[in-house]
Amino acid sequence: MTDGLAITGAAVANCLGTDNPTVFDRAFAGIEAFSPATAFFEFPFSTALGILPALEASGDDGLACTPTRVANVALASVRQLRPAVRAAALRWGARRIAYVFASSTGGLEETERSLAPDPRLPSSSGGYRYADHGIDATSAAVARYFGIEGACMALSTACSSSFKALASAARLIHHGLADAVVVGSADSLCRTTVFGFHSLGLLAPTATTPFALGRCGITLGEGSAYVLIERDTEVTRGHALGWIAGMGAASDAFHHTSPHPDGLGGQLCMRQALDRAGLTPNDIDYVSAHGTGTRLNDTAEAVAVSRVFERPIPLTATKSLTGHTLGSAGLTSLVLAIESLRRQEIPATLRATPVDDTLGVAIVDRRTPARLQHVLVNAFGFGGSNASVVVSQRPRRS
Amino acid sequence: MTPVASVQLLGASFFSTHHASAHDAVAGRQRDVTAPAFKLLVARARRFTSLATQLHLEVCGALPVDAAEPPITVFATCHGEIQTAETLVADFHTNAMVSSARFALSVHNTPSGLYSVATGSHAPSTTVTGANAIAMGWLEAALTALDAGRTVLLSIADEPVPAVFQGPTEPAGVAAAFLLAPASATGRRAQLVTTPSTDDLDLPTLLVLARAVDAWTREEPATIALGALHPGARLELRLP
Repeated sequence: MTDGLAITGAAVANCLGTDNPTVFDRAFAGIEAFSPATAFFEFPFSTALGILPALEASGDDGLACTPTRVANVALASVRQLRPAVRAAALRWGARRIAYVFASSTGGLEETERSLAPDPRLPSSSGGYRYADHGIDATSAAVARYFGIEGACMALSTACSSSFKALASAARLIHHGLADAVVVGSADSLCRTTVFGFHSLGLLAPTATTPFALGRCGITLGEGSAYVLIERDTEVTRGHALGWIAGMGAASDAFHHTSPHPDGLGGQLCMRQALDRAGLTPNDIDYVSAHGTGTRLNDTAEAVAVSRVFERPIPLTATKSLTGHTLGSAGLTSLVLAIESLRRQEIPATLRATPVDDTLGVAIVDRRTPARLQHVLVNAFGFGGSNASVVVSQRPRRS
Repeated sequence: MTPVASVQLLGASFFSTHHASAHDAVAGRQRDVTAPAFKLLVARARRFTSLATQLHLEVCGALPVDAAEPPITVFATCHGEIQTAETLVADFHTNAMVSSARFALSVHNTPSGLYSVATGSHAPSTTVTGANAIAMGWLEAALTALDAGRTVLLSIADEPVPAVFQGPTEPAGVAAAFLLAPASATGRRAQLVTTPSTDDLDLPTLLVLARAVDAWTREEPATIALGALHPGARLELRLP
């Protein structure tokens, strides 16, 4: 199903920066970018957050929708992707380009400012509208910004959302409803998620330390990540940054918020992604882990990776750089993986030492040059929702 | 009219808090407000579940599925866990804290997760949302059935939007589930087609779902507008 999907555009924005070069340079240099939570809101507890820097003026007219926080977060990636989408529209026609968007919280932050106004925060932007609350609040505006007119769809499966969107996009191409699809994700910080993860005891009091011996939770972040995928042709091959080689999805069927102790859903979806890519575990050069930094999540993922790969495969956790961008987490890691294929180096997991040796996985704790062809990226979420994607440097048939 | 996908429809179920059946909903006959029984969940797991989740689980539980090969699931909802969102926002605003149990069940894929736990299914699941969630849920389910070559359980549900959101005013909680299979399976053929459409009117969820299930139950031919596919075109369900 996923054979021959070229990635012809990629954009990312998060606490590391609001444009690809800045995000990539800081990610691969291992630069810390988290802020105290008080930079966002006076929470009655301590934690760190990944806050998007202010957007610089770009000279275009932005998104024609309410200027909510999530619209701003999305815009940072959307405006970077516009040239690639415009080129695809010339290739295929605007009606043949679909848009699939994913988010976990959508416009919830705008709702908060309306329903729970706080004098320390700006008030809701220009009058509250229910349409600004939903996951799809920015969808029509983004499609108009790109000038595309194909099918428009929104998905939300918590932290696996963006990979579920990628799978839906692949189906649209496979069944002839589109020749190219913009797959995007954005989640802004909002008070509900910070209070919520704190209530579950899952927030790290300081910067997250995935797979470290003393790991103690998540650092939330806001961010967006977008890719443009296209049917594989001679023309698109000339533009490709990488290829979606295979995707897999599975449910834990264990608990709504706690992972299966053996990472069973994770095992199933990693194996499925490998099968669909026509690859074996030995073909994968490293795993970009979901790696949230909680004790249970990292343990379960390490078990799953160990069972699938049966060797200490290099594993890195980009949430140590970007924070956990929730619905955008999968695509954020995917875009960094595409860049790692271009640079031929693996980004480091920050603060991973001392590593939890009981996990039995080979954490990449420093920037590591390597010969890279295939990377497997994980995105797991509430509801036992698991998805994996294999991204490759070259198309399968070559 | 452009064909998009053709699948077999193996079953359908319907629940409305205000109507005893899909046929009654189509006819506009109301009943006393009735809560879902959602027997799929055991007592401990029922706590803190929203009406939206209960509605999904009610209609999913009404359709027999093969436990040996559980269906892939596609959940669709325009508004998601909107009542839970209101409660969480009010809680942190008033008390500077939120309920961990309520937060855990606040994500759009809450019904998906609880269904997979209740049935022990490791099958993939996704959740489609937004203003055109009914149309795109059908599309996602049909394409998934064709791709995977196996049955797909499509569940569509929405609870009333609290007045504070100043959103839609539909008073009933409503849900429908459909069991879809690849075109090679036995069942009743269901076609998804696109047709030109110049109106952007939101279709009332209650009537869209009730018409589809009523047509299935009565074995009558029907064409049901599901919602926008893209500007200028809408998706229709055709039951020949």
